[in-house]
Order: sequence, then structure tokens, then C-alpha cells
Amino acid sequence: MKCPTCGTGFDSNDFDALGKHFYAEALRSDGRHVMWLNRNITKNKTDATALSGLFERFFALGSGGLQGWVKRRFIEKFYGPRPHPFVSALQNPSRGTLLGYVVEHQHFLRQWVRSCSFIMARTDETEVVMYELDNINTEFGGAGPDRPSHYELLLRMGESLGLDRTKVLATPPLPDTKDAIRVWDDICQDYHWVEAMVAMHGLELIANRNLRKEGASVHYFDPEILKTGQVTDATKAFLREGYEADVGHSEEALDLAAKFAGRLGVVDDVQATFMRSIDAFDNYLMARLERGKQFETA
Amino acid sequence: MRLPEKGCALCEATWGDYWEEVEGQRMFFCCDICATEFKNIVREVKAHTGWKNIDEIRMTGDYRGRDCSALNADRKYTFFIRFDSKGEIQTFKEVPTPR
Repeated sequence: MKCPTCGTGFDSNDFDALGKHFYAEALRSDGRHVMWLNRNITKNKTDATALSGLFERFFALGSGGLQGWVKRRFIEKFYGPRPHPFVSALQNPSRGTLLGYVVEHQHFLRQWVRSCSFIMARTDETEVVMYELDNINTEFGGAGPDRPSHYELLLRMGESLGLDRTKVLATPPLPDTKDAIRVWDDICQDYHWVEAMVAMHGLELIANRNLRKEGASVHYFDPEILKTGQVTDATKAFLREGYEADVGHSEEALDLAAKFAGRLGVVDDVQATFMRSIDAFDNYLMARLERGKQFETA
Repeated sequence: MRLPEKGCALCEATWGDYWEEVEGQRMFFCCDICATEFKNIVREVKAHTGWKNIDEIRMTGDYRGRDCSALNADRKYTFFIRFDSKGEIQTFKEVPTPR
């Protein structure tokens, strides 16, 4: 298993070692490890043995298997009683929020293709290759003029709000977006392809409308805005695409990953890497809001 | 400055062992990021209010954003603050204090 913060490796399910590692890092006040403990385990200092027990509980899969665990952790982080601020902003989106989404997300989607390509390059499983090909086409390639890609729909949303695509494409990412992209690039280049698969496609849970049935406090956005004139038609087209595609994308990837993670004995590595990925995603969503502020004041 | 009874001056976590002197007072923080955030709060409040010192900063919320009240004698200054992942201020919004 891996440390979800720094990637240090331990024997499989060696929660004693993981607990001692975090305890030692906390003693020397390492910010990344301390913040991870505060946000995911407890803010109250324990001894190393008790901490190991808390880790064991945190990583226990439960009856829902790896898929259920991933969804549970994702909901806790983004869809709890205090949803992520970007999700809150998207419930009634301003022009700035949507343009912040456009400018930062085009960088995310360009990395997305690289990430999926690394997974394809590093697996021998045909069904995984087929899944990734389909995903890349939906997100980036498109399927002809009648089925534009998510990337194209994103750029059209920006244009419908008065932001030319040449400006979008020429704007460098904010630092938190850049850092997050580096995390995903590292994961997909260096970690097991099953870890990469969950790290990336687990993020598509953000628009999975079925999460409401599994405990999410809100939808990604209020689906009513797809029926009203509150946002532009291009915005509706972009949001609708994710709303319709990401249930299948995230669920199918998690099913594939659960099958191969068990078979290849990498379940706990997958869990740790997923936590690292959603931390990066958390910061990336904040960057969308930060970018959006630039348009609110413009 | 009055601080939480236990734990980090910013987030009240009891992990870590990081100490810094802020406004002439030795303070415990769980990590250097919390120390950076706390010092940024103090600097920003003083810049907005012109106060020479702060008696207490009350906070609710989490790492994605904190609703705060700074107190100085019978004066109160309320605001919302959010930091980036390095502890630098990303959002600072003054919130009118109800009268």
C-alpha cells in the first residue's frame, strides 16, 4: 500500500506501518501529512497504534466493494453537508463561474486525453482499451458534426458567454490547476494503470446524477436549468453532455477497475492514489472559482 | 490575543509541533501552512481596520473557507476568508456586522 500523501510504499494492508509513517510526519509538523490527517482521519492527536486502527477503518471497503468505497469518499469530500464551493456556485451559476469553468477546464481536458492514453498504453486488457477509446472520443475527439466532443461543447459555452476560444486557449492555467495536472500526469505515467484509472475516472463521479441516491446532498448542478432560459443554449448543451455521459463513464470504469484491482492485488494502492487524486481535484475546483472571480470583476 | 484552549491557533488540530511568534506571542500551529494563514489573517484585519492589536479571532468553517470575527475591545470586524493551497489569501470579503 501507499501513503495517500507522499506515495511512500508499504507492504499490502500494513496499516501499522502507515500509521507509524503518518505519526512520524505529524511529529515533525509536515504540512501535507498533518492536513491530510485533519481532513480525513481526525484533528485530535492519537498515538501511533490508535492511528493505525483509524487508518484500517478508513480504508475498509465495506459491503459495496471498491466501487462503494470510492463513491463514499467522493461524496464525503464534495457532496457532504457543506458541498464543495464550486458545486455550490454551480447550483445557480453566474457568468463568471461558467467562464472560470471554461478557462481552467480546457487545461483539464487536454490532460485528460494524456491520462487516458497512458492508461491505454500501459494495459494489456482489451476491454480497458475499448473503454478508454470511447471515453477519449466523447470527451475530446467527438463523433462528427452531430456529436461534438465535451471539449468542443466547453469552448462553445465560453463563446456563448462572450469569451472567444482563442483567448481561452491562450490563457495559461492558474497555479492550483497546474499543480493538479502535474499530480494526474505523475500518477498516470508512474503508477499502476488500475490506480490511474480510478484516479481519473473516479473524478467523473462529480457529474454522476445517481450520487444523490447514494447520499450526495445536491446534484452537480440544478437539472432544472436545462429546461429554463437561465443559461445559454450552449451552456445547457455542455452541462447536459456531462449529465448524460458521466453516469456511464464513472460506473463502467469503477467496475473495470474493481475487477482488475482485485485480480492484480493493488486494491489498497488504488485507494491511496484515489485520495491523492481527489485532493488535487479539490484544489482544481477552487481554481475554477478563482478564475471566475476575474470575470465577475471585469 | 486569546487563542483556542487547545490545539492549533487556526484550525484547533492537536497534531504537529510547530511554533511561531505572532504579534509578540508564542503560538502553537499544527503545521507551517496554518501559521502562514493565521499571520495573513492578522495582517489583513489590521490593514482593513487600522487596529493596533487584536484581542481574539473567532472562526468557523474549514480549509475551503472560514467565516471569521475579529474582536478589539467592544469592536467587532467580520469577514470571510479563503486561502490557496500554499496558505496565501485567495478571497477576503468583509461582512457587514449586524447592529
